Amino acid sequence: MVSDVIIESLKNLRREGLRTFLTLIGVVIGIAAIVSMVSIGAGLGVAVESQLDALGAETILVIPAGIQNIRTTLTDNDLRNIEGISGVDSLVPIYSESGVLEFNGEKINVSISATDARDAEIFDSTGYFDVGEGRNFERNESTAILIGNEIAYNYFEKPINVRKQVTINGEEYKVIGILKAQPAAFGGGPDTGNTVFMPLDGLKRISDKENPGIIFVTATGKDVVTDTADAIKKLIEKKYGEGSVIVYTTEQILEQVNMLLGVITIFIMGIASISLIVGGIGIMNAMVTSVLERTKEIGLYKAIGASNRKVLSIFLLEAGFIGLIGGIIGVMFGFGMAALIAVFGGASGYALSAVITPEIILGGLGFAIIIGMLSGFYPALRASRLDPVEALRYE
Amino acid sequence: MVKGEVVRLEDVKKIYELDGINIPALNGVSFSICKGEYVSIMGPSGSGKTTLLDVMTTMMKPTAGKIFIEGKETTKMSNAELASFRGKKIGFIFQTFNLLPKLNALENVMAPMWINGVPRDERKKRAIALLEQVELSDRMYNRPNQMSGGQKQRVAIARALALQPNIIVADEPTGNLDSKSGTLVMDILNNLHKKEGKTLIVVTHDASIGKKAQQQIIIKDGKIVSGGAKVCNQL
Repeated sequence: MVSDVIIESLKNLRREGLRTFLTLIGVVIGIAAIVSMVSIGAGLGVAVESQLDALGAETILVIPAGIQNIRTTLTDNDLRNIEGISGVDSLVPIYSESGVLEFNGEKINVSISATDARDAEIFDSTGYFDVGEGRNFERNESTAILIGNEIAYNYFEKPINVRKQVTINGEEYKVIGILKAQPAAFGGGPDTGNTVFMPLDGLKRISDKENPGIIFVTATGKDVVTDTADAIKKLIEKKYGEGSVIVYTTEQILEQVNMLLGVITIFIMGIASISLIVGGIGIMNAMVTSVLERTKEIGLYKAIGASNRKVLSIFLLEAGFIGLIGGIIGVMFGFGMAALIAVFGGASGYALSAVITPEIILGGLGFAIIIGMLSGFYPALRASRLDPVEALRYE
Repeated sequence: MVKGEVVRLEDVKKIYELDGINIPALNGVSFSICKGEYVSIMGPSGSGKTTLLDVMTTMMKPTAGKIFIEGKETTKMSNAELASFRGKKIGFIFQTFNLLPKLNALENVMAPMWINGVPRDERKKRAIALLEQVELSDRMYNRPNQMSGGQKQRVAIARALALQPNIIVADEPTGNLDSKSGTLVMDILNNLHKKEGKTLIVVTHDASIGKKAQQQIIIKDGKIVSGGAKVCNQL
């Protein structure tokens, strides 16, 4: 019996091809809009989280800050004191400098980042950069450098390839690797395209800088990260004054980014809801029209023995099926749109990705069916309550 | 309930309310229809014959009075009970055919059967047999817009017979047909009455059809002016 009503509802939808199609379009557009926006939003969240995940949950960033424009200079002694804090497993200081790079007689200004070559892995493992061609540092190679993508390909008349010699501040260095171009990321990140990376020994040839620009501290465990970060801040501020250092944990960065993402997601959902309301009104309009057009049919069904409940179930099922079919197509279209947006976004240098999860699929479908049935309910109820005689004589 | 009685109306009244004004359509109508009888209901336009038919067939509730069909008091039934009762006991034939335009002849005949839960295989078998009975075997897969008026009315007759009701009610069955098609349709209805013993109730303007009935009820201004006094006691 139940399967009969389902089969007849589906047959009715097929018979009413054009009307079904037009109603479907309304559902498809509404659902596709929501799914694409949610998918892009979720992709954004995943991208940011994976970037921060690369930093590691145990990572604490210590950045010397300035008080009244005088930047705190952390000494080797300070580093040893930080290392002595319980909860600190290890730390990697990174030194920043600027210099002039010369190649084939042309000169440009570059940023230089350096760390002990034994710790060079930190760049790679934290997602600071990705070596595209060549290799990362292996030991204290005082003449080896890695250069950013921009420096390698865009600034000089001839590209700088791996194994080429360049001079920085008059000293000779050999390019052992070129970094991959990185998309501008949401959480922020270093501008690696314009930077030269070298081991600390290499930096010592051209600079006497001894104060790190940033320190990557690794805590002994996730549970002590916050306490350790507080202890580091307290230690530095005790010596240099309040505000002399900025200490971030990955979690804190994540929290801030998530807050921003939350605002964006709410904004996106707002726009999507409007499109769904518009879609819902479209569906309801189509449903009401459909019922009015079929008033005679309803009268006939009642004359030949259909109860109110049966008429209601026929019309509700039809509305539900429109929701389901529209939902399936809408989810596919929505994901397709999100994927397209991600492709175009990626081409323009933004780290966008389309994410489709079972929650998005089920949510989209559920929403479509509910909207379909809700919009179908009123006209179906009206249809079911029509007096058979009135319905039959309706013109 | 008198033996052999199929339909009985007791002092049935119907008053329409339109914008607060009461318009009486039936003013206390009482009559009986016997099993296997051919009854015609006649009367001028606006006399209340269609209202009488609607009320009698449970399509509309009367304002007052009692109606019995096959011994059951329909005026006491709920809407859901009425729907199923009506579907099984009464076959309807309308002046304007009322076929579903998107369904072919076969599907139209099967419609009451799926509504009332007849199994799928049985439906098709029965519908094919009924269309053969009204000589439309070659039109089974045609939609109403591909058929003549007479053919449509024969599909409607087949549909009315789908649930094997004992009572066939026809509201101006020949009203939209040419005389030749009308004769054919009336012949089929007459056969149902004579050969299959169906109770046939026909509302008509056409005196030539009305006169052939065993009982002629003539109604004017919502009251019976002739007929309706029959007492069933045969069978």
